[in-house]
Amino acid sequence: MPRPPSPSIPEKEFVYGALKEGLRVDGRLPLEMRTPALAFGPELGWVECSLGKTRVLAQVDAKMVKPPPERPLEGIISIHSEISPMASSDYELGRPSDEEVTITRMLDKVLRRSDVVDKESLCVLAGQRVWHLRLTIHCLADAGNMLDCACLAGVVALKHFRRPEVEVVGEEVTVHHPSERAPVPLSMHHTPYCLTFAYFPDASTKPVLDPTHLEQRLSAGMLSIALNAQRELCVVQKAGGVPLAADEILRIVDVAVDKAKELDKLVEQRLKEDWAGRTVEVR
Amino acid sequence: MISFASFPSSSHDFSDYSTTRHHPDVEDDIAMDFDLEDGDFEDATQKLIVPGEPLTSSHAFMRGHGTYVDGEEVVGSVAGTVERVNKLVSVRAIRTRYNPEVGDLVVGRITEVQPRRWKVDANSRQDAVLMLSSVNLPGGVQRRKLESDELQMRTFFEEGDLLVAEVQAFFADGAMSLHTRSLKYGKLRNGQLVAVPPVLIKRLKSHFLTLPCGVDVILGLNGYIWVSKHVKESQQEGEEGFDAEAVYSNKNDDIDDATRAAISRVCNIIRILAAQFVPLTDAVLLEAYDLVVEQEGDVKDLLHGDAGDALVTALGGRG
Amino acid sequence: MSSRIEILNDGGYRSDGRRQYELRDITIDLTPQGTADGSASITHGLTQVSVSIFGPREAKQRSQTLHDRAILNVEVNVLPFSTGDRRRRGRSDRRILELAASIKSTFEPVVQTSLYPRSQIDIFVSVLQQDGGLLQACINATTLALASAGVPMFDFVCAVSGGVHSAAPLLDLTTLEENDLPHVTVAVMPRTKKVTLVTLETRLHVDRFADIFRLACDAGQTIHAEMRRAVKERTRTLVAAMGAGPRAGPGEHMDRDVVMDDTIIDY
Repeated sequence: MPRPPSPSIPEKEFVYGALKEGLRVDGRLPLEMRTPALAFGPELGWVECSLGKTRVLAQVDAKMVKPPPERPLEGIISIHSEISPMASSDYELGRPSDEEVTITRMLDKVLRRSDVVDKESLCVLAGQRVWHLRLTIHCLADAGNMLDCACLAGVVALKHFRRPEVEVVGEEVTVHHPSERAPVPLSMHHTPYCLTFAYFPDASTKPVLDPTHLEQRLSAGMLSIALNAQRELCVVQKAGGVPLAADEILRIVDVAVDKAKELDKLVEQRLKEDWAGRTVEVR
Repeated sequence: MISFASFPSSSHDFSDYSTTRHHPDVEDDIAMDFDLEDGDFEDATQKLIVPGEPLTSSHAFMRGHGTYVDGEEVVGSVAGTVERVNKLVSVRAIRTRYNPEVGDLVVGRITEVQPRRWKVDANSRQDAVLMLSSVNLPGGVQRRKLESDELQMRTFFEEGDLLVAEVQAFFADGAMSLHTRSLKYGKLRNGQLVAVPPVLIKRLKSHFLTLPCGVDVILGLNGYIWVSKHVKESQQEGEEGFDAEAVYSNKNDDIDDATRAAISRVCNIIRILAAQFVPLTDAVLLEAYDLVVEQEGDVKDLLHGDAGDALVTALGGRG
Repeated sequence: MSSRIEILNDGGYRSDGRRQYELRDITIDLTPQGTADGSASITHGLTQVSVSIFGPREAKQRSQTLHDRAILNVEVNVLPFSTGDRRRRGRSDRRILELAASIKSTFEPVVQTSLYPRSQIDIFVSVLQQDGGLLQACINATTLALASAGVPMFDFVCAVSGGVHSAAPLLDLTTLEENDLPHVTVAVMPRTKKVTLVTLETRLHVDRFADIFRLACDAGQTIHAEMRRAVKERTRTLVAAMGAGPRAGPGEHMDRDVVMDDTIIDY
């Protein structure tokens, strides 16, 4: 399998030169994100999120299952992420590349291990019936920073999703069809947002937020921070790459705090708009 | 309590270092300890450096191997001893792969046969290259290379064959090119290979040793050592009547039991000296062999128990 | 967060009798193992990791080589008996792949790979026992093994894990503590005090993070002192062994060693 061609030397030098002066090829400021565009599908829990040309589709569905004996009181959340060669020719079928492993592991950490969804609220009848949430993430196109886009899509899909109302009488479980009773939103502890910063080999170049594909390719290390609007860090991930001073990392964490708040506002607003247009559906 | 098990060594007393559980606050004390320790040591022998340790100013000195320049400082990048030639400062790593130099004698093993060349494992960072044009072919030195030679390269050297050669030149990427254009060089047989850390083989007047016990030793500078049955000078000679059959033969000669025992004994001596990290020279080998013969032990006993320590102590005492 | 065992009791002691900022015992073993070019095993308390380095050597797959630098190949093997629940983890286990990827990307900028074009450096990590701080032990052991293999590096990489128990930062967590606390692993390069790796996996307030992060950076220096001491000690033993042989060998004066007694100005 031939390796994809790396950026040509003039292209590389131009990008490095521009970044050194604090300019980015797509005209953004170094610490400016591409504004995420969220499109909601006809079903609840179906979200398409795009950051520029990077597009990710996330979809949630729920079904009733018997819980495993070691955790009878908790629901199950599973994340299925698929990065096919469709997203970019960098990805191959077969043994996952390091990048794919990072993305899937990060999704797992951000969306599952940081307790986004209250698992106990997914329990219907202890030891008998719990909800199993399946979050499927499809990466449709990779134009850089797929991780942030996938995390955003995943978390918005969970917020957007509503599960059918259930009624328990003794041992009897009745699931009400959405047409009978309004479905209920998931109970969520918090909403983490993932923000990725790219660092470049030249130490005097400032880091950039939300790198494009080209920037990502030319970077010498990435720092991913997942945090919520309540200033709580969920995941910090900087695996290798250029070494950074401790103060620099703390500074970036502060930047991320502000960005997460902005992102949270945007997401809440979009969800509200969507919900306003949807109320007719519930009879 | 901290314990390091380094090489089997004379038991050092680590009681000075028993401060394992450091609070980050006591760190200054540790740093001071080190300065003192280094100071003491410098007087005794060479200065030791570990990666990331500043050596000297980059203005006054030039950086050599095993170092890099970071701003104002020359910093070491390997663990080893400092060496200085005038303004050039370098650090020689104590254990590393073989770094070839032109003219070095190496022992290697063929790993691959490629068009017009062989690839040779010589314990270096890349496989060495032996060009078809750099070997002696049957039928005299002046012979032209023919296409038929290319087709029968495997009759000269096959994958797995051992050979002794000299480093001829380097390629652009640092891989070495070998040649065997001397009757001293060529395919190896009638013996055993022992691998030791390359740093233990010093440059000698001759790397072809003949021990009085009827054993030839070839000390490859890459750390591969060939121990074989002694071949008489007269049999080796014959510039004119270059015997291709004999040079590229894959058959061992008859080796009698005494020689076999001697070969094994020499190999085991090399192994234990290497385990004790003693540099190997002809004098050391000779002396060690005599000592071992004096003890009259079985060959295999050498590798058991304290034989190694005893041998090194005995060597140290005489030397 | 409901644990039956007190993480930090009123007296300020942890479940294994340590104080808040106390690290576990470190044992470093640099004995050569088999035919490896360099090897090291390190224990942090009950966590034990052993690493063997092969190379720089001819790459196994020529298509993978790079013309301007060496490639690092990291294989992590978590032995089934290393944890309480005896479970065989396949090579394709995501957690192990991630661990290997982190080790690889941590050392790629630290090892001077540009000195060895078209070569490959193999790093084999075996996890023998796990009791928290797995990543930290893997990184520290790899640093030591690379140093003992004579692979040029810009600096040591020293990793430390830390956690926060209700606003009180703790260093060097055991499995017990890791399960209950938000924990970070920080790897520093002691000379420049720069950070090459940070990971945090659980929810933690930004201000708390700053505390533990700075503390872990400091603790990295302490670990560095231990690692440095071990490497120096071994180098010293080897140098001494090389000098111990008989001096009168005819090769000795042929030796191209330069004057070494000259003291170099300590800068």
